[in-house]
Amino acid sequence: MSAQDRATGPGTIKRRSFIDIVLGLGFVSTAVSFIYPLWRYAIPPIAAEPATDSIIAGKISEFKTNSGVLLKFGSKPAILIRTPDGQFRAFSAVCTHLDCTVQFKSDTSQIWCACHNGLYDVSGQVVSGPPPRPLETFAVNLRGEPGQEEVVISRT
Amino acid sequence: MRSFIVRVFLAGVAALVVSAGTGHAQPAQATGCQTCHSGETASHLSAPARDFAAADVHRDRGFTCVDCHGGDPSATDKAAAKAPATKFRGKPTGTQIVEVCARCHSDAALMRKYAPRQRVDQATEYASSVHGQQLAKGDHNVATCVSCHGAHGVRLVSDAQSPVYPLNVANTCTTCHADENRMKGYMRNGAPLATDQKVKYDGSVHHQAMVERNDLSAPTCNDCHGNHGAAPPGVGAVTNVCGTCHTVFATKFALSTHSAIFDRGCVECHNNHDIAQPTDAMLGTDEKAMCATCHSEGDNGHKAATSMRTGIDQLKAAIAHSEEQIAAVENAGIEMGDQTMALREAGNHLTLARTEMHAFEPVAVTKILEEGIGLTTQVDVAAKAANAELSFRKTGLAISLAAILLVVVALQLKIRTLPGVES
Amino acid sequence: MTQQLFAWLDERLDLSALRHFVAEKSVPVHRHKVWYYMGGVTLFLVGVQVATGILLLLYYRPSAGEAYESVKFIVTQVEFGWLIRNLHSWSANLLVFMAFVHLFSTLFLRSYRKPRELTWVSGVLLLFIMMGFGFSGYLLPWNELAFFATKVGTGIAGAVPFVGDFMVRFLRGGDEVTGATLTRFYGLHVAILPAMTTVVLGMHLLFIQRQGMSVPPSVEKREKAGEKIPQMPFFPHYVLHDVMWWYVALAVLAALALFSPWELGTKADAFAPVPAGIRPEWYFLAMFQVLKLLPAHIMGIEGEVLGVLGFGLCAVVLLLLPFLDRGAAEGRSSKLVTWGGIVALAYMFVFTIYGYLAA
Repeated sequence: MSAQDRATGPGTIKRRSFIDIVLGLGFVSTAVSFIYPLWRYAIPPIAAEPATDSIIAGKISEFKTNSGVLLKFGSKPAILIRTPDGQFRAFSAVCTHLDCTVQFKSDTSQIWCACHNGLYDVSGQVVSGPPPRPLETFAVNLRGEPGQEEVVISRT
Repeated sequence: MRSFIVRVFLAGVAALVVSAGTGHAQPAQATGCQTCHSGETASHLSAPARDFAAADVHRDRGFTCVDCHGGDPSATDKAAAKAPATKFRGKPTGTQIVEVCARCHSDAALMRKYAPRQRVDQATEYASSVHGQQLAKGDHNVATCVSCHGAHGVRLVSDAQSPVYPLNVANTCTTCHADENRMKGYMRNGAPLATDQKVKYDGSVHHQAMVERNDLSAPTCNDCHGNHGAAPPGVGAVTNVCGTCHTVFATKFALSTHSAIFDRGCVECHNNHDIAQPTDAMLGTDEKAMCATCHSEGDNGHKAATSMRTGIDQLKAAIAHSEEQIAAVENAGIEMGDQTMALREAGNHLTLARTEMHAFEPVAVTKILEEGIGLTTQVDVAAKAANAELSFRKTGLAISLAAILLVVVALQLKIRTLPGVES
Repeated sequence: MTQQLFAWLDERLDLSALRHFVAEKSVPVHRHKVWYYMGGVTLFLVGVQVATGILLLLYYRPSAGEAYESVKFIVTQVEFGWLIRNLHSWSANLLVFMAFVHLFSTLFLRSYRKPRELTWVSGVLLLFIMMGFGFSGYLLPWNELAFFATKVGTGIAGAVPFVGDFMVRFLRGGDEVTGATLTRFYGLHVAILPAMTTVVLGMHLLFIQRQGMSVPPSVEKREKAGEKIPQMPFFPHYVLHDVMWWYVALAVLAALALFSPWELGTKADAFAPVPAGIRPEWYFLAMFQVLKLLPAHIMGIEGEVLGVLGFGLCAVVLLLLPFLDRGAAEGRSSKLVTWGGIVALAYMFVFTIYGYLAA
């Protein structure tokens, strides 16, 4: 600012300084309210990408053999099975009969739908009951250091 | 001279033919029958020959006219071809038809040579059927083997053009059963037999499944009435028959109070031929519902029906409400995937409740519905939290707006303090 | 500290010319000076668009299978993603609005007259570029409204005689609006149009710096009569005013984001029926409404073709205005231009509202 500003009396200096302080505060606070969101935005979120086509189910050690677990895949449930011999299989958990959510029965190693007793085998094929079609199959891949792999389920 | 040579030749052929014996496939040379019959002007004489020559499962396996009708195909003279010595049987009628077919089809050793998995008890089953029993009484109006399977153009059941292919069965049965003249005089339980089953069935959910969704496992006439032992399921049998596919419902119903009361089992509420898509409206005590037909105000059944229906309606409404909330929040920009899954699970509970209802125990149904409501309540809580987050964002924006306006005002004031412009 | 930095740079780059320019730069003061700031606000909003656009680029995916999901991801998962997206969408609208304000103010104040013809021409080109940004950007979220608005909008291009079908195929990347259209619009939106903007905007700003601010004809008359027009120093007066107007624009943006946040919509489905009341964004609405109202045939020619040609003619007139209204340079304010401007403004106002009500 030019020297002329300080020419007038004490009262005016205080008022102008007050405005300068307010202005300075205002600029800083608004700048922060712009910079902060921009900074937080640029930091990647926990889920690195939209979970449309593939999800990480967990670490390989989290899944016992002869067990099944239900997960969210896109907007529909999926079921991840580990067969008695350790293989991973993944299917859509939406029963092809009337859309109920299926579950894994470890005593018979089959996928069962509680609504109307539909049964599927570990390959998703219909064994008995009302389901007209097999369960939609998803691909399962292991990714990472041997022994600590992540189980990744993807659509194709 | 020439006719002598012809005779010798034909005799030689005949020797070959005869030596093959009955019950064995004759070589294709035995087409002597067709030579005369295809040339006949009367269609009832020429059609069999034509049909058999066109497409027939027996012909494909080397069987000929002689195997069912007898006769001597090598003879050019009609009298000689059909002489008693040739074991000519002509057109079998009535029980003869069953005998002719059963001669092979009830012979396990023979059938094993051609179709090892095929059953060999059709004739026995038929004898137990209404058709079989009527035939035994001398009623030739009823269906026999050839009525459904054809005689001369017989196709495999899996052949889409066969009259007994699943999609065609209803039409085959209807040929007789919708014919009022033919069905006149037949009674059951004191009432004349209906002829509108096909019309009713065509409007049913089973027919829809077969025709629109190509689900060949959907039932047609023979799935409930039996193939060869065709008869309507009797009292006490209906639930079991429906239960061959609808297992869960049948079990629950069989253990319920209604199973002892309903003579016609499932049919009491769901009808037999015109089975429509069941709706929640069937349960309850209002005018459209079925329960009020027997239950009146104050009795246990009335209370149960009201309770179950109210509960189901409540859960449906709760799910719809939660879905609306989730949709609004998602549209505004908050991730609600887990809640969508929870609502899906609540929908599953609705399905389970509708199944459980068939045991007619409101306590069990209520338990399932309450679990469902628990889920929708959870979702509503999450929706509220999401709305709170949206409000929080708005508050943040409002504060920023205030700060910005403050700067605008401060700038205005600052500008005023600047020295005047040069003139 | 800034002084030290400046001195360091001055030593190496000789910024004396710059310092002189800045110190001496001044802006005329008169009762119409408020319009001077409109261009600056528009420029500021372009800056906001570039900044928020670049941020969106970090997460957006330009494919039919992932576009909607990536926008949903930005809005739901990325911290402050909802804010950046809202700002970008609203700032786009505000930008086009301010561009029109800037256009009309320079039109009524005859700023286009000699020697500033090229500034005007580059400005009109920038307006078209900004509308191109708006049209291409609108498709990118790949929701139902966007999809069908694009379908209708690109379809109108087919009304241009002779090259219409080619234009439609060129715009759509095919015969129909598909993922190919999305990719193409994305390329247009983040590469082609920004490159063009850099060049044209650069020229526009260069001309303004070179020639200084134009004064309205009435002020120029006073100047010619010998009166000395007051001037304000660029620093700090004009700059503070400019910054204040920028903050006003920010306040409007914040208010818009607060009271009318942008929604996700439903994902585009090419095979779904066109939703009722489909219409383009407001800055195309007036044209759209006219096209809807035109009869199917006028004197044997298709109504739509005439409409499109009509708008094309208006665009050309707008572009060449300085050369059509040479009288403005001699101080003769053309009544035709004034009334033309008023009619255009009224038409846009009325038909935009009409378009909204008709839907």
